[in-house]
Amino acid sequence: MSTVEVRGLTKRYGRVAALDNVSLLFAEGEFFGLLGPSGSGKTTLLRCAAGFIEPEAGDIHFDGQNVRALPVHKRNIGMVFQNYALFPHLSVFDNIAFGLVVRGMKRADVRQRVTEMLALIRLSGLEDRRPRQLSGGQQQRVALARALVTRPRVLLLDEPLGALDKRLRQEMQVELRQIQREVGITTIFVTHDQEEAMTLCDRIAIFNEGRVVQVGAPSRVYERPATTFAANFLGDANLFRGHAVARDGFQVIECGDGIEIATGDPLPSAGGVVALAVRPEKISLWPADSAPVGTEGENRLSGEIVHTIYSGSSITYRLAVPGRELMVFEQNRSARPYAPGDRVVATWPAEHTVVVEEQKT
Amino acid sequence: MERVGGWLVRGYLGLVLVFLYLPIAVMIVMAFNRSPLYELPIVFDTVWFQALAKNERLLTAGFNSLWIAIANTIIATALGTMAALAFQRYSFRGRTLMQLLLFPPITIPWLIIGTSMLVMFFWLGIGRGLHAMLLGHVALSIPYVIVVVGARLKSFGTALEEAAATLGANPWQTFWRISAPVMAPGVVAAALFAFAVSFDQFVISYFLAPPGVSTLPVEIYSAIRKGFTPEVNAISTIIIVVSMGLMLLFARLYRFGGER
Amino acid sequence: MDVQQRRRIAIVGLTAPAYLWLALAVFLPLSAMLYFSFLTVAPFGGREAELTLKHYRAFIDKPLYRDLAWISLKLGFHVTLICVLMGYPAALALARYVKGRWREALFLLVVLPFWSNALVRTFSWTMVLRGDGLVDRMIQAVLPWAPSLDLLFSYPAVVIGLVHAYLPYMILTCYISLQAIDDSLIEAARSLGASGATAFRRVILPLSVPGLIAGTVLIFVPVIGSFMEPRILGGPRAATMLGTVIEEQFTRIFNWPFGAALSFILLGIVLLILALSYPLLRRPMQAM
Repeated sequence: MSTVEVRGLTKRYGRVAALDNVSLLFAEGEFFGLLGPSGSGKTTLLRCAAGFIEPEAGDIHFDGQNVRALPVHKRNIGMVFQNYALFPHLSVFDNIAFGLVVRGMKRADVRQRVTEMLALIRLSGLEDRRPRQLSGGQQQRVALARALVTRPRVLLLDEPLGALDKRLRQEMQVELRQIQREVGITTIFVTHDQEEAMTLCDRIAIFNEGRVVQVGAPSRVYERPATTFAANFLGDANLFRGHAVARDGFQVIECGDGIEIATGDPLPSAGGVVALAVRPEKISLWPADSAPVGTEGENRLSGEIVHTIYSGSSITYRLAVPGRELMVFEQNRSARPYAPGDRVVATWPAEHTVVVEEQKT
Repeated sequence: MERVGGWLVRGYLGLVLVFLYLPIAVMIVMAFNRSPLYELPIVFDTVWFQALAKNERLLTAGFNSLWIAIANTIIATALGTMAALAFQRYSFRGRTLMQLLLFPPITIPWLIIGTSMLVMFFWLGIGRGLHAMLLGHVALSIPYVIVVVGARLKSFGTALEEAAATLGANPWQTFWRISAPVMAPGVVAAALFAFAVSFDQFVISYFLAPPGVSTLPVEIYSAIRKGFTPEVNAISTIIIVVSMGLMLLFARLYRFGGER
Repeated sequence: MDVQQRRRIAIVGLTAPAYLWLALAVFLPLSAMLYFSFLTVAPFGGREAELTLKHYRAFIDKPLYRDLAWISLKLGFHVTLICVLMGYPAALALARYVKGRWREALFLLVVLPFWSNALVRTFSWTMVLRGDGLVDRMIQAVLPWAPSLDLLFSYPAVVIGLVHAYLPYMILTCYISLQAIDDSLIEAARSLGASGATAFRRVILPLSVPGLIAGTVLIFVPVIGSFMEPRILGGPRAATMLGTVIEEQFTRIFNWPFGAALSFILLGIVLLILALSYPLLRRPMQAM
């Protein structure tokens, strides 16, 4: 198992920078997610690490060893492709054994290792089948086994669950994480599905236009997004923009339409527009005529429900307040959701309002 | 009303098939008919096939056709597969132009290609003969090989070879263990195609055949023009059964070789 | 040696043999023949040749040769038209009224004769069409007093032979176009109130036009340059068209420069047709 370090990686296609001076450190044994929209550079980074793409600038180190000069087949990596790329003319056994066979391992040893691996992925007994005779989930597991059996330094996963339907994907997510924990291998996982990234990864990096927007544990990135892009990409966010105003002891911005929003973060004293974000689930709704008295350090807005989306266990509201719409997300506690037209009051503590940097999407 | 229409259309399809196979069926029946003229009743006899075995001209022409076809298959398949690999695995400027250049041999009437080959070979001193024919046959087969192998390569993309590389296989190992076996059905299909193109080739061979040397189609043609012997029926039957058989094989390979 | 250089060597190494061969066997000869067409006589056997336009002018001046071209074009037109009329319904049947394994099997059956030996197929028609061949015998079985319909050695015989040869091609291209039409499109049309016939006219037919055009071009071009079928099935009466005359120049009359000129005029017609239809053909070709 290795640490992987990427320093100053840059790759251009014509005038477009697929990767722009990206530096990241992947710790040993970590399950690290690369998240971002299509074309953001996450797959390019993965393929640079694998050796399929040569970057224009920057270095890649496995455990301190610079691998830029190493061709793909000498990097000792394991990779799972989006469509699995199982060899159609080989059996499941031969597919998994491939990496060991080309390294010249003895037959008996190969057999032992492959059998172990088959047990790990729970496909013992299917080793003589051809890939086309397997289901999508089974193929995925074979692809994973094939990549892991050679005990590589790094595991690279290129949207491996993309081809599965929702239920299967959720099952495979759990299995994938279990196997990775058992084996303990450093894993780089590319996905565009933010929910997947948050549930599986120890840390994530959000990519946009070839640059890393934010790095950190999923909970941290989610609770404290660094930019408006991060706030909107990972989950949903209500954004407020305005100028800082002085309000004894509190950090407040004025957004026009008579709205002032307080935040727990320090605000810049100089002028300029500041952006604040609050997550929909942090907001509480009260009926307008029975709302509790406001406390200090609490944000409070009155408005009218415009739209109600009932999802069973939760309800999403769109709330019209002066000058804008708020999105509110509530658990279905009362079984009597608000209806469009109801007048409500929305409150949330100032500390749940986060200062975010402007970033064009 | 729709149902009746449906059956009418299917019946029509049947008629078309009858039209397509009728003359061939007649020829095969006549090949086994004892009478050299078209007299009824039809008596089954293999006399013409036996006469065929003694017909030196047709036999020699047959062997010529065979060895040219085999040589053509080997050369055209090798050259075409290499080019197909280059097109599918690399992208480079001029690739589209080069792929476009593959069309003339297929779309220009073979008459023009045949006559121009005749002109140039004579001029260059290569002259006519079996080697000249081979030159022409390979040129005609190459585009088909490239298309057939290219289609096979395209259906698998580069993912398999990339996977092999990540598993530690060097380029040599990747080629022999992965690329070649996966490509194989496509290459074999292309080879069959090349064989058929050469074996059935008439126009080019016709122009490039010097007196005394010819291939089977050319020989059959002159036999027809001179007034025919029933052995022509026999050899034609053999040819058509063989070439249809080859094409059936090709079809199975092309379709079922496309497994993922 | 860096990656870029290795790549370039690989590309050149892989494509050069095939393209050199094509250059030597196809492109060079075509250029040679072009040059030839401007010579007075074939420069063999010590004869001196000069550059001249007389062969091309002969084509333009003498009505005989223009008629030849016209007859060839007419032949192309007749054959193509019949192939369209016969082939499109067959393709329709196959694409929309036959399902499952039957479809593959029948498709194969249709295409198989096309890929068998063309000469032998043409020859097999002589036996059906001749004086006491199959056609005659069948007619006489039904109408014993009818005269012999000796179809062989006539223009209709040539047409029949060519149609038989190229019909599978038309069925193939139309079939590819037709079966690419999603069933849901038809269902959508029917749900909007279109009858079966209207759905055909307004949805299926327009969407299958690329297949029709592809088939037309791919049949028309070889037909106008054909000489084998006219010779075998047309006999002395009906075998005079551009293809056979060109062939004669090379095998009997030995006026090679003139044959070369005629060939290039034919090539010019072919290229013109291809160029005109290329924009219409581009998309269906990509689909195939």
